[in-house]
Amino acid sequence: MAFKKDLSVDFAGVKCLNPFFLASSPVGNNYDMISKAFEAGWGGVFYKNQDSVPEHEISPIFGVEEGDVGRSWGMFKNCEHASQNSMEQNLDYMRRLKEHYPEHRIFATIMGGSDEDWTNLVVSVAQAGIDGVELNMSCPHMGRDNMGADVGCNPALVEQYTRVAKKAARSGLKVITKMTPNITNMVPSALAAKNGGADGVSAINTVKSIIDLDKDLFTTEPVVNGKSAISGLSGRAVKPISLRFLCEMKQNPGLKDFPISSIGGVYTWEDAVDYLLLGATNIQVCTSIMEYGYRIIDDITSGLSYWMDEKGFEKLDDFIGKALPNIVSPSQFTRTFKIHPAFNHDKCIGCGRCYVSCYDGGHQAIKWLDEERRPQLIEENCVGCHLCQKVCPVINCITPGEVVFDEGAKPEKIVYKKNFD
Amino acid sequence: MSKVELKGYMEEAERPFNLRTALDEANRCLVCYDAPCSKACPAGTDPARFIRALKFRNVKGGIETIRENNPLGGICAKVCPYDQLCQGACSMTGIDKPIRIGKIQSFLIEQEEAFKMHVVKAPAEKKEGKVACIGAGPASLTCARELAKAGYSVTIFEREQRAGGMASYGIVPSRLPQKVVDHDIQLIADLGVQFVFGHEVKREDLEPFDAVFVGTGLWDAKIPSIEGAGLPGVYSAVDYLKKAGTEKEAFHAGKTVIVVGLGDVAVDCATTAKLLGAEDVRIMYRRTIEEAPADMDELKYALSLGVGITTGFYPVSAKGNGKLEIVEAAGFRDKEAKMTLSADTLVFATGQKAEKLDILDDLPISGKGTIEAQENGFVSGKVFAAGDVVNGGQTVVQAVADAKLTAAEIIAYLEKKGV
Ligand SMILES: Cc1cc2nc3c(=O)[nH]c(=O)nc-3n(C[C@H](O)[C@H](O)[C@H](O)COP(=O)(O)OP(=O)(O)OC[C@H]3O[C@@H](n4cnc5c(N)ncnc54)[C@H](O)[C@@H]3O)c2cc1C
Ligand SMILES: Cc1cc2nc3c(=O)[nH]c(=O)nc-3n(C[C@H](O)[C@H](O)[C@H](O)COP(=O)(O)O)c2cc1C
Ligand code: SF4
Repeated sequence: MAFKKDLSVDFAGVKCLNPFFLASSPVGNNYDMISKAFEAGWGGVFYKNQDSVPEHEISPIFGVEEGDVGRSWGMFKNCEHASQNSMEQNLDYMRRLKEHYPEHRIFATIMGGSDEDWTNLVVSVAQAGIDGVELNMSCPHMGRDNMGADVGCNPALVEQYTRVAKKAARSGLKVITKMTPNITNMVPSALAAKNGGADGVSAINTVKSIIDLDKDLFTTEPVVNGKSAISGLSGRAVKPISLRFLCEMKQNPGLKDFPISSIGGVYTWEDAVDYLLLGATNIQVCTSIMEYGYRIIDDITSGLSYWMDEKGFEKLDDFIGKALPNIVSPSQFTRTFKIHPAFNHDKCIGCGRCYVSCYDGGHQAIKWLDEERRPQLIEENCVGCHLCQKVCPVINCITPGEVVFDEGAKPEKIVYKKNFD
Repeated sequence: MSKVELKGYMEEAERPFNLRTALDEANRCLVCYDAPCSKACPAGTDPARFIRALKFRNVKGGIETIRENNPLGGICAKVCPYDQLCQGACSMTGIDKPIRIGKIQSFLIEQEEAFKMHVVKAPAEKKEGKVACIGAGPASLTCARELAKAGYSVTIFEREQRAGGMASYGIVPSRLPQKVVDHDIQLIADLGVQFVFGHEVKREDLEPFDAVFVGTGLWDAKIPSIEGAGLPGVYSAVDYLKKAGTEKEAFHAGKTVIVVGLGDVAVDCATTAKLLGAEDVRIMYRRTIEEAPADMDELKYALSLGVGITTGFYPVSAKGNGKLEIVEAAGFRDKEAKMTLSADTLVFATGQKAEKLDILDDLPISGKGTIEAQENGFVSGKVFAAGDVVNGGQTVVQAVADAKLTAAEIIAYLEKKGV
């Protein structure tokens, strides 16, 4: 039996077996898929979007950044619309899932374009006896200004639609508003959702994008009859964007206790820990499942359990939000010292990458010893940027060395990263 | 200038992976749906699962998979003929070259040691049943691990001073460092398995046990009865390797060495001689290289060290004054061919047999000198057997696979017995 810790968690007042849910997308679009995912270990699902105005799907739907064989996608672009199932079908699937997996959580993602739409959608999906709804105000490729990301950028509309949905929801049905990252600041929209009565928000939906252009067809992917569109980017590339929004929301006094479901680029347990450390209590996954299947949950739960064991954490609450105090404004940095790099000449393989980068992209602080093929620090030039450490291909060969304080600065204990495994 | 590689006897032939290079290799994995690598492992080590764990940055989960499934995961990682097993089946071969599964496995096992992980634990509540294992080679070690994991008391009787069998005394350290063997064994000892070393088992030793597992391997070394077979300087492969393994650099491996045979054992003898400083090492094989059972990579490695090969000949007599000086050889197919060579060391790597084991009654012995056991390892009464002594000499991973099956059978037997 695989080693496993207690990964249960409360999300927006709902008890979950674990925080790992299928994101609203093709990975959760019928009974068989979702039941397979639950058996594999996923804790719940945000059921694939149902729109008030379903659109005929395009073909093909996706584009990827090309990588080496076997290496996972760096980014993934889609221009997909809502579930192509009928509402009746989806209600039947969700009802059966709820019946067979009472401990798993089901949220139905919906998207409307008017008060009436939202009301109707909430009332419809609620019939399946599910745990909550997710209001999609964030799809970046709707091509309509009353639906999707354009709504999410307008706090007044976010609040209005959230309020309408909350009113339509029977008691106990949770309402989560899904945020768009196609905005300079997410906090106003999240606060608007909260004011409208949401039980939490989820972030992020996909990022408006164009990826590599086809050099023969002169357009980007997906190529649909010779044309493409600006549409949603997901996967690894969007994780840093999502983490940033999460952190800003969690650090806002009005949102600090407001439940957030994080989405974007989770492939491994380490990605998941990143979100948890910044305060997410739920994590949704789409692209990595599309690439590798539901089985990736094995290493997410196992890796997380082993890490918790190492750190002495018994439950997720022991570390959820733990990194928040350590992300500060750049204006709050200690700016009185620099750390010189230390070069380990035994580990060094003599590639000279540190020398090249320090000269051309740094401060000409490395002297190259031609005979020995080894770097030597010119201390007076070094600003302690550690670009050399970043380009070194050998593990722990260039490491932080001496901490040097500015003249007149009071020396203090400096916390810095020591291991670069 | 010579292109021959210079290596020490104890030096590993290949540079191991570190976290970065291991991840790079795992990242090449296609994460197949019906992973053929896992299907190709006789012992059920499940490489697809542990490579996926590494790829998804779950090092400990990967270690867990290996150790749960294969008690000798460390040894196997070094010595399995992967080209014919997991790596041979890898889908990536269709695009490029297979994932280096053995090296990934080795890396994970090193991490297991670094993390001091104890994946498998003996249950707090012990069962009544007691089992004796004869021999501390891969087969017995595996059987003991599986039984201890299930809560039984296990005692291993080994006549040598150290556990590991051929893994400790046969396979050369440049391919299998002793510390890798010792790590696997330590984890088994940590489950409470008792070892009695330097002890040739007696009939009465076995009486208190509810079941007996025979994993004695093939230790009857064959030296053909040619003229001069008894001269100092003439060895069987097992004796030669065992001496080298015990005395290490102090062993005088010979100056001019002829190794007879072209199986893996012969190649090991030849590399051992070369690594221990022999000047001239030649493999003599009566058939052709195409017909030889030796692993080609190992053979290439031997050639890279400067070992030579003479095919078509076999030794007919050994001569010398109080010690070996001359070897006479004759053509095997070419009846005219004759050859006289100077040599101070002649090693016969032409196969081993099981020794007679007369402390157990009714042991059915085959014509080849192996114990005749059923596929599940059952022999007769309370006696079970697996490994080389049954399969006639195959591989560590085969011994692990067979012993796992046999252990399951012993557990069923003990349960039926109510102990
Ligand atoms: C030179 C050489 C190279 C090899 N290379 C490889 C390789 O690269 N890869 C691979 O997979 N396999 C290799 N093998 C084969 C592999 O080592 C064996 O298949 C494996 O060790 C078999 O395990 P076993 O437990 O059945 O027997 P053994 O390993 O032979 O162990 C038997 C043990 O029983 C002990 N014993 C015997 N009789 C008694 C007794 N009466 N009382 C107490 N103890 C007793 C012996 O001392 C020994 O420790 C090689 C073998 C040799 C000889
Ligand atoms: C093919 C595809 C279809 C999607 N469909 C929807 C959808 O219908 N509704 C929705 O709210 N989000 C949808 N999303 C966005 C995902 O739910 C998720 O927010 C986003 O992909 C980021 O997570 P990831 O990096 O794990 O993929 C879709 C994403 C993809 C890739
Ligand atoms: S993935 Fe499946 S649905 Fe999509 S194009 Fe291929 S076969 Fe068709």
